[in-house]
Amino acid sequence: MDSNLSPTASNGVHLILSAKSSGSPGLGSRLAKLPREETRQRFTESLASAAQEVFEMMVGTPLGEADQSTLPRAADYTAMIGLAGDLCGVMSFRCSSASASKIAASMLGSNELCSEESIRDALGEICNMVAGSFKGHLTDLADQCMLSVPTVVSGKDYQLYPLADGLRIQVVRTFAGALVWMTLDFHSS
Amino acid sequence: MSGLRVLIVDDSSVMRKIVDRSLRQAGLEITEVIEASNGAEALARVQETRVDLILSDINMPTMDGLELVRQLQALDNAKGVPIVMITTEAGESHVVQALSCGARGYIRKPFSPDQIKERLIPLLAG
Repeated sequence: MDSNLSPTASNGVHLILSAKSSGSPGLGSRLAKLPREETRQRFTESLASAAQEVFEMMVGTPLGEADQSTLPRAADYTAMIGLAGDLCGVMSFRCSSASASKIAASMLGSNELCSEESIRDALGEICNMVAGSFKGHLTDLADQCMLSVPTVVSGKDYQLYPLADGLRIQVVRTFAGALVWMTLDFHSS
Repeated sequence: MSGLRVLIVDDSSVMRKIVDRSLRQAGLEITEVIEASNGAEALARVQETRVDLILSDINMPTMDGLELVRQLQALDNAKGVPIVMITTEAGESHVVQALSCGARGYIRKPFSPDQIKERLIPLLAG
């Protein structure tokens, strides 16, 4: 995965992420032959199940249903992880600062305020585990798709431009009353 | 099983804490938890002190978990010590690779304390 930071005239930086096909005929190309809605539904269900599993087991709080139309334009934290191999793309997990603090505190089993480092670490692990669990739900994908090291961006003053040109799926949920959302952008292969 | 000295290897400090807590919730009696953030640090810890169990992530900077398992095979201090991988990479090829390197078990993240208990108790009893 390549990432570039480019200055913009008006509002900070734009973070540009790109993901490329491995070039081999893998799950990505097999999925490309499926009806787009079928793929979207399968991936959305897998991503939602993966997120629920991670939050129940590692954070100790199940996610709630949410209305996608209420999604804010920006999040305080964005954790990202690249997928490469049969399926190429980027997964991101976004949430508010308050949610990020609660997630980190729950994972650490602490009632105290978590350090910024712990919050970033926790969100990176959440992103990593959701992506790993997502792969696990697609049984023919687990061995054929690798994950990158997660990256966490804090602050709202940026635009995210995934250069993936394929399917985009998004799952929106609530955690402790606030919205969290996960997006998968795939490169068509 | 009581009085265990456990080495937890993961580049995430949050994950090391979760593994530590899960071991205790699983009912294992822990005397000491030693932490390392990559394979190289873990090797140094094992050379310094004898541990009863090693739990390691796979994807880590500096030295990954698979290389750690390979290098542990040559250390006297690690002889007979069960090594269990805890990782998001749970594909069959990853499991086979880890076991062929010398790992004795494999736990997929996310995990529950019950899963930890289920995997570790037989290893520690044996």
